[in-house]
Amino acid sequence: MNSKSTTHRSTPWCRQVMILLVTVGLVCLLSGSAVAQDVAVATATATVLGTISVSATANLDFGQVLQGVETATANNTANAAVFDISGETDKGINLVLILPEYLTKTDGSSRMDIIFSATDASVDTTGASSPTTMAAGKGWQNTNPYSLPAAAIIGSGGTSIYLGGSVRPSANQPAGTYEGDIVLTVAYNGS
Amino acid sequence: MIIDRNTTRLKRACATGALSMVIVLVLAFWSLAGVLVAPTTAIMTEGKRTTRLTIKNPSPDPKEVEVRFAFGLPESDSLGNVDIDLRDSAVTDPRSCMGWLKAFPRKIVVPPNGSQVIRLVANPPENLPDGEYWSRLIVRSSEGTVSPPPVASEEAITTRLNMIMETAIVAKYRKGESVARLALRDTTAWIDTTFDRVSVLLDMENQGNVSYVGVINGRLLDAHNNEIMTQKLDIAVYRDLKRRLDFPVSLEGFDGPYRADIEVTTRGRTDIPPEDVIPGNEFSFTTVIPEDRRR
Repeated sequence: MNSKSTTHRSTPWCRQVMILLVTVGLVCLLSGSAVAQDVAVATATATVLGTISVSATANLDFGQVLQGVETATANNTANAAVFDISGETDKGINLVLILPEYLTKTDGSSRMDIIFSATDASVDTTGASSPTTMAAGKGWQNTNPYSLPAAAIIGSGGTSIYLGGSVRPSANQPAGTYEGDIVLTVAYNGS
Repeated sequence: MIIDRNTTRLKRACATGALSMVIVLVLAFWSLAGVLVAPTTAIMTEGKRTTRLTIKNPSPDPKEVEVRFAFGLPESDSLGNVDIDLRDSAVTDPRSCMGWLKAFPRKIVVPPNGSQVIRLVANPPENLPDGEYWSRLIVRSSEGTVSPPPVASEEAITTRLNMIMETAIVAKYRKGESVARLALRDTTAWIDTTFDRVSVLLDMENQGNVSYVGVINGRLLDAHNNEIMTQKLDIAVYRDLKRRLDFPVSLEGFDGPYRADIEVTTRGRTDIPPEDVIPGNEFSFTTVIPEDRRR
């Protein structure tokens, strides 16, 4: 009787244990599959390499130039040249601009003076690439393009250089298109 | 289970959002970027005389790229400002390898959204003494997307300025046992009232046979040991170098005397693969910032 009773009593207990085990098993199985859906495990190897990128996003634009009239473009106007530099944030960079002394007529027959003053460049460490909106204290404003700041860094959004200048056509400067090269060289100074 | 499903959905939504944001940021970056060069340091050795450089053009226009070698080391003035004077010719430095490094190809057109590999090969002279030899690879590209202003009439004068970009990458060749060792000759610290910053100048001398490439880590502390600011600066000391670590911070609200804990180590460079860094000696020191030494 006791035995029966025990057996009788043990049946629901076993069922409860079975139900519990099945439930736990299902939960484990389902949570396992859920995890399997969330996370795919794979083995991969990669070497992270440092990068650096320089681009020119705007040309130095003097518009139409008149004979005998000096024409200037300020570095905080929409006509300023814009270089953008990107790479690892806060890395020190060495910046060198090589600027022309004159522009040459495309057929090589004539030259026109181009002048860059000691305040014709700005270095914007916000990388905003917007010469008209550069905020004070976010780099170097109106600095010497022939000697850009040695403490320049790549800001979190990059670094931009804005360049202005002026051209001095003579009174009898022949009409035509005059061209020259502006070269920006960038190097990490901690390598 | 319900919680698990909700968590899963939340995770997926977050992951999708983050991925979308990353894609948008990457696309935004690439749409503006010029030629991208990687890595920024190319190392060759006796056992591995070649290496590769990848030039990527993320723009929709083809880019003409030209490479050449130059020589230039980081050099400093008395205030710790660093300059690299790149020279293409008349280089007589015995540690220059620009004469016996070659790049293939030297002129390429990188297709839109494409990339091109440049192979660097070292052909060192016989009986080259052990040590490290240095050069810079200049990657030159011009911006093809900036168009010249139209000529309004035959009588008009217009200008066209070609925007040319150069990126100088370090190229090194190592032979024999490499020893990176740096000595600290002198330090100076001061409060720079003009720029609202505290500066620590380190005068260092390379005593190894390779360039000492590492970092300066600095902590600025007040009189009560409160950390005011931390700073980190990458350095490459080829012979001797003065580097200034600036803490751009106003000291208002902090009690003096102030001091800076400085550590110099070859660990912690994030731009160079660890296998290319020669582990060197490390040193650290504490310098008190004299409050009467304000500039």
